[in-house]
Amino acid sequence: VSESVSDVLRRLTIVFTGLEQRLESLPLLRKLSRGKFSLADYQALLVGLRQQVKHGARWMSRAASNISEPHLELRSIVMRHAVAEHRDYRLLESDYVATSGALADIQGAPMNIGSEALSAWMFHEASKPNPFGLLGAMWVIEGLGAIKAREWGLAIKQSLSLPDGAVRFLLYHGENDTNHIEEFHRMLSLVLPDDATAQRIIRTAEVTARLYALQIEEIAT
Amino acid sequence: MTKLRDVFITGTGAFLPGPAVGVAGMENHLGRVYGRDSILGKRVLRWNGIETRHYAMGTDGSVLHTSADMCARAVQAALDDAGGELKKLQFLATATTQGDYLVPGHATAVQGALAGPPMEIASFQSVCCSSLMAAKAAWLSVRAGEHDMAVACASEFSSRWFQPSFYEGTALCDEKGRLCAEADFLRFTLSDGAGAVVCEPKPSNKGVSLRISYIDIVSLAGTFDPCMWAGAPLDGRDDLVNAWSHAGPVKAHAAGAISLLQDFQLLKRVIRAWIGVYLKKVDEGRINPQEVDWLLCHYSAKSLRQEIISLLKNTAGMIAEEKWFSVLKEKGNTGSASIWIMLDALLKSGKLAPGQKVLCVVPESGRAMVGFLMAEAV
Repeated sequence: VSESVSDVLRRLTIVFTGLEQRLESLPLLRKLSRGKFSLADYQALLVGLRQQVKHGARWMSRAASNISEPHLELRSIVMRHAVAEHRDYRLLESDYVATSGALADIQGAPMNIGSEALSAWMFHEASKPNPFGLLGAMWVIEGLGAIKAREWGLAIKQSLSLPDGAVRFLLYHGENDTNHIEEFHRMLSLVLPDDATAQRIIRTAEVTARLYALQIEEIAT
Repeated sequence: MTKLRDVFITGTGAFLPGPAVGVAGMENHLGRVYGRDSILGKRVLRWNGIETRHYAMGTDGSVLHTSADMCARAVQAALDDAGGELKKLQFLATATTQGDYLVPGHATAVQGALAGPPMEIASFQSVCCSSLMAAKAAWLSVRAGEHDMAVACASEFSSRWFQPSFYEGTALCDEKGRLCAEADFLRFTLSDGAGAVVCEPKPSNKGVSLRISYIDIVSLAGTFDPCMWAGAPLDGRDDLVNAWSHAGPVKAHAAGAISLLQDFQLLKRVIRAWIGVYLKKVDEGRINPQEVDWLLCHYSAKSLRQEIISLLKNTAGMIAEEKWFSVLKEKGNTGSASIWIMLDALLKSGKLAPGQKVLCVVPESGRAMVGFLMAEAV
């Protein structure tokens, strides 16, 4: 990768490790690492994640629609990502049902304060012309999918003795998103080198990481 | 204000007890828990790549050297290397994971083993990174003009804790007598030894000295639960009320709270946290990977998973593999002593040339810490 891409990747990795450390000390995830996670905690996590997952493909689609003609290749990639993910929330719902939760409950649950903030932020950014900063948001969200989701999924499955069919969203994400991260390097190289874009990507990653953690923080258990 | 002085490592010393023990002889040496071969051992050895190591314990459980004795021998070797004399030593900073005593500090035992003159001492205790805590104290004391000769040293007698009787009859073994992975992993990871460095305000008049540029230590214990620990059982270690000191020694032993334990799931997250700290140093310009001529780290590049290597390469943080200097394979992972044993081997290899930059990286999984020592050969 080029120097400009490496510089951004390095700072994005620092943002991600900072997020991971913030998540480490959140009460809900502390319960998981300390072996005190309950089925109610898992159900609350699924409810808490659903809106962001559901909105993910939609803000990506909106971002794609705002990418101008000189960047058609990037637009194609973002659109493919949106397509790949726009049904993921269904998987999450079926996991919830597999844990004896009622579909109406997860579908009807209001967004928590963190989800509201995260969603509003994503759509706001996606509505700007050529919203390349959102590559930073994609890095954070996809990194969570590739690294954290599988880790959480395995730990939840083990600690609650759940069948695979009840943890598909978290486990499936772990497999799928690895390729996305490889593709991410290519997306960065399509918009870099450009100092203002690099700064915006990193700032957007920082804000997204903070709001994602807020979303987890606000999950009531 | 007193002008800060340059400080040089003018001598290094290492001490490894007994003969080198190969993979085949390891379990004979440590003993078999309930007479069973370890299930995990071979996998651990493949991962860490350690071929030989040393033990301060004989195959019959006898003590060849105490931890303090090993440390004193390393200190004497470092003083000899620097052309210094024990009677001129003004400050002794020691490091260890667990000394021979609980109380008083390791430095008192090492000073005692040296039969050293009156001097200032400091005992640092953590895991691997305690080595750099001691080094920072030694470096700063000379730098500030408090002392003209200081020693930082470290020793470990891990095998003492790996004897079958330390595990048998405790909650760490299942009903079939199998030792849990959290304990068994470390039996195949850690071994014994000691190392020391001498710090002085002038370079040695013979051979290569190292001018210390900085020592940075970053602990993330405010975020992480213990990842490698002794003194609390597997479950409930986050609550200090469960620590051995509250349960009392007999109950604590039965609960498995005395042995060293490692949480592997948490270790994966701690490794990413180390990388985050390291990349931040790179980003701030504190570490320039291109300028490093020798990297000493008691992880080997081979033991790091490929995805971590490619992450480091993609973020311009990788120090080329040919610059990694390690004696891990032959001398084992001796915890806090490792970094000085490695530095001693580098200095005595004749490979280090004046002007070259040496970066020591000391990750400690204990409760997520990592330390860096940057130095330039003169």
